[in-house]
Amino acid sequence: MELFDWSLVSSTIRMVTPILLAALGGALCSRVGIFNVGLEGLILVGAFSAIVGNHFTGSLLLALLFAALVTVLFSLLFAYMTIGLRANEIVVGVAINFLGLGLTTFALRAVFDVKGAFYDKDMAGLPQWQIPLIKDIPVLGDIISGHSPLVYFAFLAAVLLHFFFTRTVTGFRALAVGMNATAARSLGLKATRLQVLAIVMCGVLCGMAGAQLSLGQVTMFTEGMTAGRGFIALVAMMLGQAHPLGILASSFLFGLMDALSIRLQGFSLPTQFTAMLPYVLTIAAMFFLKDKGASSAGSSQQSTR
Amino acid sequence: MAAVKQLCKSLVQPLLAVIIGLLTGALVIAAVGESIIGTYQEMWKGAFGSFYFLTSTLARATPIMLIGLGLSLAFRAGVFNLGAEGQMVTGAISATLVALYLPAPGFVKMVAALVTGVLAGGLWSLFAGYLEARFRIQLLISSLLLNYVAVLFAGYLVSEPFQDKTGSAAMAQTPMLEKSVWLPKLFAGMSVHAGFLFALAAALLIFFVIRYTPFGYEVKMLGQNPFFSRYGGVNRVRVMLTGMFFSGGLAGLAGTVEVLGSHYRYVEGALTLPNFAWTGLMATLLANSHPIGVVFTSLLLAALQTGAMGVERNTDVPLELASVIQAVLILFISAKFSYDWWKNRNNKRRESHGAV
Amino acid sequence: MENRLEMRGMTKRYGDFTANDNVSFTLKEGEVHAIVGENGAGKTTLMRMLYGMEQPTAGEIAVNGKPVVFRGPEDAIRHGIGMVHQHFMLFPDFTVAENIVIGYEPQSKGLFQRKEAASAVRSLSERYRIPINENAKVSSCSVGEQQRVEILKVLYQGADIIVLDEPTAVLTPLEVKELLQTIRHLAESGKSVILITHKLQEVMEVADRVTVLRGGRVTGTVSRSETNADDLARMMVGRELQQLTDRVRLEGKPLLRVQGLNVREKQTLVDDVTFSVHHGEIVGIAGVSGNGQSELLEALTGLRAVSEGKVYLGEKDVTGQSVAAIREAGLAHIPEDRYLWGTAKRESVEENALMGYQRKPEYMRRGVVLRSKFRRVVEEWVERFAIKTGSLHLKEQAGNLSGGNLQKLIVARELGQNTPLLIAAEPTRGVDIGAMEYIHQALLEKRNNGDGILLVSSELTEILALSDRILVMYKGRIAGELTRSEATEEKISVLMAGGSVYGSSQAAM
Repeated sequence: MELFDWSLVSSTIRMVTPILLAALGGALCSRVGIFNVGLEGLILVGAFSAIVGNHFTGSLLLALLFAALVTVLFSLLFAYMTIGLRANEIVVGVAINFLGLGLTTFALRAVFDVKGAFYDKDMAGLPQWQIPLIKDIPVLGDIISGHSPLVYFAFLAAVLLHFFFTRTVTGFRALAVGMNATAARSLGLKATRLQVLAIVMCGVLCGMAGAQLSLGQVTMFTEGMTAGRGFIALVAMMLGQAHPLGILASSFLFGLMDALSIRLQGFSLPTQFTAMLPYVLTIAAMFFLKDKGASSAGSSQQSTR
Repeated sequence: MAAVKQLCKSLVQPLLAVIIGLLTGALVIAAVGESIIGTYQEMWKGAFGSFYFLTSTLARATPIMLIGLGLSLAFRAGVFNLGAEGQMVTGAISATLVALYLPAPGFVKMVAALVTGVLAGGLWSLFAGYLEARFRIQLLISSLLLNYVAVLFAGYLVSEPFQDKTGSAAMAQTPMLEKSVWLPKLFAGMSVHAGFLFALAAALLIFFVIRYTPFGYEVKMLGQNPFFSRYGGVNRVRVMLTGMFFSGGLAGLAGTVEVLGSHYRYVEGALTLPNFAWTGLMATLLANSHPIGVVFTSLLLAALQTGAMGVERNTDVPLELASVIQAVLILFISAKFSYDWWKNRNNKRRESHGAV
Repeated sequence: MENRLEMRGMTKRYGDFTANDNVSFTLKEGEVHAIVGENGAGKTTLMRMLYGMEQPTAGEIAVNGKPVVFRGPEDAIRHGIGMVHQHFMLFPDFTVAENIVIGYEPQSKGLFQRKEAASAVRSLSERYRIPINENAKVSSCSVGEQQRVEILKVLYQGADIIVLDEPTAVLTPLEVKELLQTIRHLAESGKSVILITHKLQEVMEVADRVTVLRGGRVTGTVSRSETNADDLARMMVGRELQQLTDRVRLEGKPLLRVQGLNVREKQTLVDDVTFSVHHGEIVGIAGVSGNGQSELLEALTGLRAVSEGKVYLGEKDVTGQSVAAIREAGLAHIPEDRYLWGTAKRESVEENALMGYQRKPEYMRRGVVLRSKFRRVVEEWVERFAIKTGSLHLKEQAGNLSGGNLQKLIVARELGQNTPLLIAAEPTRGVDIGAMEYIHQALLEKRNNGDGILLVSSELTEILALSDRILVMYKGRIAGELTRSEATEEKISVLMAGGSVYGSSQAAM
């Protein structure tokens, strides 16, 4: 197998999607001044709820709605703790991760009576959308067409989010809240409402990320199947400076590294080094961009005591 | 008398959190249709039911406690070190390599490995601190990112250059350490090893340092009010870096004693899968960063986890019960702390609006 | 013609402390009304009540004759009151236009109409002759420009009453001129302006009427034609003349020598300051807060970088040294803000007392701090200064002590260092009379023992009671120096307001 070929791009796109969606969710939170480390738990919850929804309704649309709903409930818990009770956002995020892991494993047992994984070969996964004209274009057609609807949704979400922040009034005010919450409040902007809105939207995106994981290729839920993707999404968000288009690029970088590393094994370059690259890049990026505080992550961190 | 009252007051919060956690666990157990009492009985047995289980709880508590103690020092200083996992792994792999390849008699190798583990973890942590001191790269984020770099690099080391090539299966682990380097078990046939004693000693040491040494005082004051520390002449950068070094060193020690006392080799994932680092973080938060408190909260969390394993073995309830209870514990504790502060905020607001 | 705004009998109490006591004033259409007073005189509290950020304990507000109650800033804004805060509330990454329209954005179907916003801002800027670049990012704007953005913001929100809180504190002289012009234009176009300031020259240039506050009460409301800066200073500071007690001159060798000290950040905060403090003398720096005193002290104690100049403590050059090194060279420091710099609120009295002593050899043995030995020392302090700690004694949380008792603890701690030089910044601010006496007594004792004290206070009575020599700071420079025998309250207050006094020496050495 060649190192670089077009199927690499196609599989990258597929693997990137959950990370992209979650990173966009993280960016929303970051832009209103909240560093959400609980993405991992939220994605997992979304993945499980999608399978549950699909199993009991047979409808993919309802499954997706259910996934979004349940994940939003969890993110509301996050919102209540961090905004309402002013708990430390890192602590709550870590708790959400543990809670997500615990409850999904539990529910796996409770709902499906299985351990480890649930797999239903009769369950329909997300369809592959063949886009009419495009699919016939050589090379490009294979890359762009034939993905699950959530893949297209992810890219759409990135564009929409960019539009939201740059063109709408609500998005503008949300940015203000993250930039200077005190000033925003003194102007009478509903800072809390905007923050909760951002967190809820993050929940929806993470729910979709989870759904792509569990329904996107093989319809299956495995305990802890997020496997750190939530944290990778967090890093992608930081590398992309919480900007939707930047996140598009950084998520791609991660996905590319991921896909490449499997190929590189054939060339005896240890996979771990390509896997390390995005993290090192992020630190380097922080060094070069430290004066342009687009991401408020950790800027006002105090001790948790 | 007032001091006793204060102690009781500070215990109320964690106790309440534990109760709420257990109640939530009960809810979840009921949702799966199992017996609540029965499950909790199995949990108790799994953690403390026999000498074997009791010592496994102590064994599991060892790395949690060491990491928790390291973090208690860092958090006291107001330094948010999230890199315990990477520091633990760095210490573990360095110690393993020294224990494998240092040309020296067994005991010397063991001591050298322990020292190396502490130093390696400490230096990895110091690196993140240096990035903040020199380049203003936020410690919170850099320590988090460096976790991945450390774990991946260690994974590489045990997949290629230092892999155990003796067996037929190619596993990501180093060769086994020879017996002379092993940390002795505390009781024959039980899993708890000398590392547990190190952890207890470390707890006492940190308690002593914070209470009685100038450095400990400066750590405390830095965490309480960095302006006050600056005004008083405390060298904040030095305290921060030293705090980072020791907290990383303890994490490195945690990894080291696991290798030298439990696994006798470095196995990829053996330290990360059980989530020692995050559990250690929880232990510190639950204990409000008090070193002696960390001893108890580590034991509590370890008991939850070993108990849950017992539950998994003997009932249909999965061991993730522990994760659920732990998560609720943490949520409740973090809320409670902020609740007091929030109540005070409301009182202050009421005062200034006091109409006559 | 009725008043645009009336505040009647405004009173605000925080527990025992009365910030405003029966304050009344009126504001006409097209009038510029200045409210002047010292720090702590109650100006800020009064304005916070006007803007709805505080609720009055008593009193009422009427806008255009109708009584109103403001429960929050939105209420005030709706009634046409716009506040330009001392600390700007701007969003650095947004453009000027975005900052001005935020909260009231021109929109169509939820979409932000930025072009409309920009042109609205442009026309506003032209109408009131307030020049700005609506497309520039606020972070790249100068301080003066940022202030104009704040003013345009309240105009855009429809304010008829514009409150400016210490607006010239951060401006260059040229920018000050421009601002005063803008204020006149605003008044001419029918707006009313409330100017909160202590810069009396500016008041005389631009205000129609002036209300003077002192200690929470109104000491006078005059129109500009009836008064001048000196009169205003006197009203601000009070008429009781101090009987200065005679004192034995002890002046010994120079202890602290400051030469040509400059502290510059975005502006010049300390401007070519030269003076010295000798053994056995108390040098008091008088001046209205915000004229560089804090920055001067921060530079001397190592908490702020020195841009130019030299500082000598004894024989040592301590310019730019670390805090620890300067303290080691013989300095102790009673900080201006006891909660921010001087304490760790949640720690015990004992822990707070230890700061600065934790590495002293007399309290250490083999790396361990001798707590019990130090505790005895703290108990002595508690007795000597009558520090009331409550039932837990030394284990009481420092934050639970009353202001006066906490200050006494800090004074005891710093005096306990027995350093040749003591810097005391606002040592009796917010402190009850009893504690004040203890502290003054202790300071005089130290001076009589041959040590030197540099005192900074915005309380003129304190300066006069304690100082052997008095330096007055104005706009970062030493405006004048007076010896104890030549000092009078009137001379000092004139220097404080930026005037000059015959017989005082500039740039003292």
